[in-house]
Amino acid sequence: MSRRYDSRTTIFSPEGRLYQVEYAQEAISQAGTAIGILTTEGVVLACEKKITSKLLDNDGTAEKLYIINDSMIAAVAGMTSDASILVNNARVYGQQYLKTYNESVPCEMLIKKICDIKQGYTQHGGLRPFGVSFIYAGYDDRYEFQLFTSNPSGNYSGWKATSIGANNSAAQTLLKKDYKDDLTLKQGCELAIKILSKTMDSSNLNSEKVEFATLSKGKDGKIIRKIWSDKDIDLLIKETGVLDAKDDE
Amino acid sequence: MNTIASQFNNNNRNHVHHEINESNGGYGGVDKLELTPTMTLPPISQPTDFLRAHTDDATNPDCKIKIAHGTTTLAFRYKKGIVIAVDSRASQGNWTASQTVHKVIRINPMLLGTMAGGAADCQYWETWLGTQCRLHELREKERISVAAASKILSNLIYEYKGMGLSMGTMICGFTKKEGPTVYYVDSDGTRLKGDLFCVGSGQTFAYGVLDSEYKWDLTEEEALYLGKRSILAAAHRDAYSGGTVNLYHITEEGWTYHGNYDVGDLFWEVKSQEKSFNNVDG
Amino acid sequence: MDVVLGIRLKDCTLIATSKSVTRGISVLKEDDDKTRILNEHNLIAFTGEAGDTVQFAEYIQANIQLYSMRENDIELSPKATASFVRNQLATSLRTRKPYQVNVLIGGFDTKTGKPTLNYIDYIGTQAILPYAAHGYAAFYCMSLLDKHYRPEMELNDGLKLLEMSIKELQTRMPMDFKGVIVKVIDKEGIRKIDV
Repeated sequence: MSRRYDSRTTIFSPEGRLYQVEYAQEAISQAGTAIGILTTEGVVLACEKKITSKLLDNDGTAEKLYIINDSMIAAVAGMTSDASILVNNARVYGQQYLKTYNESVPCEMLIKKICDIKQGYTQHGGLRPFGVSFIYAGYDDRYEFQLFTSNPSGNYSGWKATSIGANNSAAQTLLKKDYKDDLTLKQGCELAIKILSKTMDSSNLNSEKVEFATLSKGKDGKIIRKIWSDKDIDLLIKETGVLDAKDDE
Repeated sequence: MNTIASQFNNNNRNHVHHEINESNGGYGGVDKLELTPTMTLPPISQPTDFLRAHTDDATNPDCKIKIAHGTTTLAFRYKKGIVIAVDSRASQGNWTASQTVHKVIRINPMLLGTMAGGAADCQYWETWLGTQCRLHELREKERISVAAASKILSNLIYEYKGMGLSMGTMICGFTKKEGPTVYYVDSDGTRLKGDLFCVGSGQTFAYGVLDSEYKWDLTEEEALYLGKRSILAAAHRDAYSGGTVNLYHITEEGWTYHGNYDVGDLFWEVKSQEKSFNNVDG
Repeated sequence: MDVVLGIRLKDCTLIATSKSVTRGISVLKEDDDKTRILNEHNLIAFTGEAGDTVQFAEYIQANIQLYSMRENDIELSPKATASFVRNQLATSLRTRKPYQVNVLIGGFDTKTGKPTLNYIDYIGTQAILPYAAHGYAAFYCMSLLDKHYRPEMELNDGLKLLEMSIKELQTRMPMDFKGVIVKVIDKEGIRKIDV
């Protein structure tokens, strides 16, 4: 039955569904997990790296974490190639806004812009929707630290803590259980690692399988965007003691 | 003989002139005695057009001769006498030709003239005015009035009207009869008596300060400071004014020079003392 | 030539604009308001080519209001407003028929609690200034303000300073500009002041 309504993204099925959009969302739930946690001192983003190979020769920069502008980082779940198109759009818009208003773009405004692009592919053009969901960590002087997600349908929403990608429901259950409103950034980082260690298939967590980023405020009030180095990630993993806990079991 | 020049050449018309010259055995065509002023004209059919084509920046930005134009000068009359203050920048087009021009011309110990517009024109004709004033003194055994002196200049200028002179000057002096007197004379032929004049590209800036503080009952110290301060205001805002401030004071005894102040140093001194110039940091 | 003057004081900004509209040798109007309210805390005052001025100011006004509608009634800050206007003029300058409009933007930044004054000309020069003027008025008032302006001035001092400037313009400018409309921008918003 659904066949007839599959091939065209812009046609509703008799049940009122857009299959292509749902398939895109399905594709994402196979992708590596990404977690975002909002804390009192900043935002934590953590991603699972799915494909790792000793032969892979890249420059060591993160593959699923993108700096959008001076006050935003996005984590990707889904097709990285699709993501890079949208990230590029986001960056250009961020700079356009900065050029016009001499101020950083408000987070929600930029996200809305990206979601308008995503939405466009669910309605016209006969092209495939973007196969990506994002978690955005951002800061603006209206609402300070913020956490958002967006998906291929073009919907977006704000969160205290959330997850996208594989096992996202499990991750969200854990977040619901362990999230507190008064988390420090450090506690947020540890929580993210703990949850990743439980939702990821592999047994020993290390920097080869994780990408990590934080958004925080420096002493001078400037926003610090930090995509963590392998060394720092390993150190964090060690500090949280998730490996020891695993060994005990 | 040039057609225009011949019109103005008195030798052709004045028979008395001819006779006198001949009786003196006038050799080489050089005039021995002139009964009326004569003018020497450039060997061009239309000097006005020639000057406009080569010196008028506004109609022809590519013109080769850039006459020194930018200036701020002021003179005002008050209870104790006259204050004259001028800047010292000479600019030719956008080029600052000099920062140390003396824009007050000491016509004689009682009379001062200021210089705005073409530096050469002012310098030449105001020195010339000095000679005329001296001749007046010799003839009349009396110092010339400021009114008369300024009129000699303005009449001369008017004869050259439209021929490219560029002058904006204040003729200042103190006589028993007139008291402290300031006349404004410019190359259009305008001649005005007044209490207070500012002339040059920076005039508006000088007026801004001067008008807001000026009163007849100023003390000498206040008046000198106000003159200096008004030039500073113009030097600060007008790109074509600057360098240093030259200050003069005129009383019944004649003029006295009150010094030369570098605008760069003066600015910071005034700023910190007055707590003004709040748009500038430091 | 129109008079457009702005003075930033301790906790408000003053904007004064001349009331006359002249074309050729006639005065067409003597109670003209050369300002437009952009939002609760931003006022634009303008001068320049006839026709362009009001068109441009109202275009800016519409766009600033559109921003607030889209963004849940959030006001664009004075800095962002000025940057936006500058950007519009700079863009326009590079078209076939640029807007020949010079503006002052008086504002009050509700976030920092500080009054602001922005000077922007038709070429796209933007400057944050304690006091500013456009046209011939600048030639007379800038030196006067250089001398008499103090940053800690209150509204009353500011009005006296403004009166001084207007008096100077009335004595030295060749044209009768029929007095000025004065507006104040402070934390309460924008209001007109009778002078």
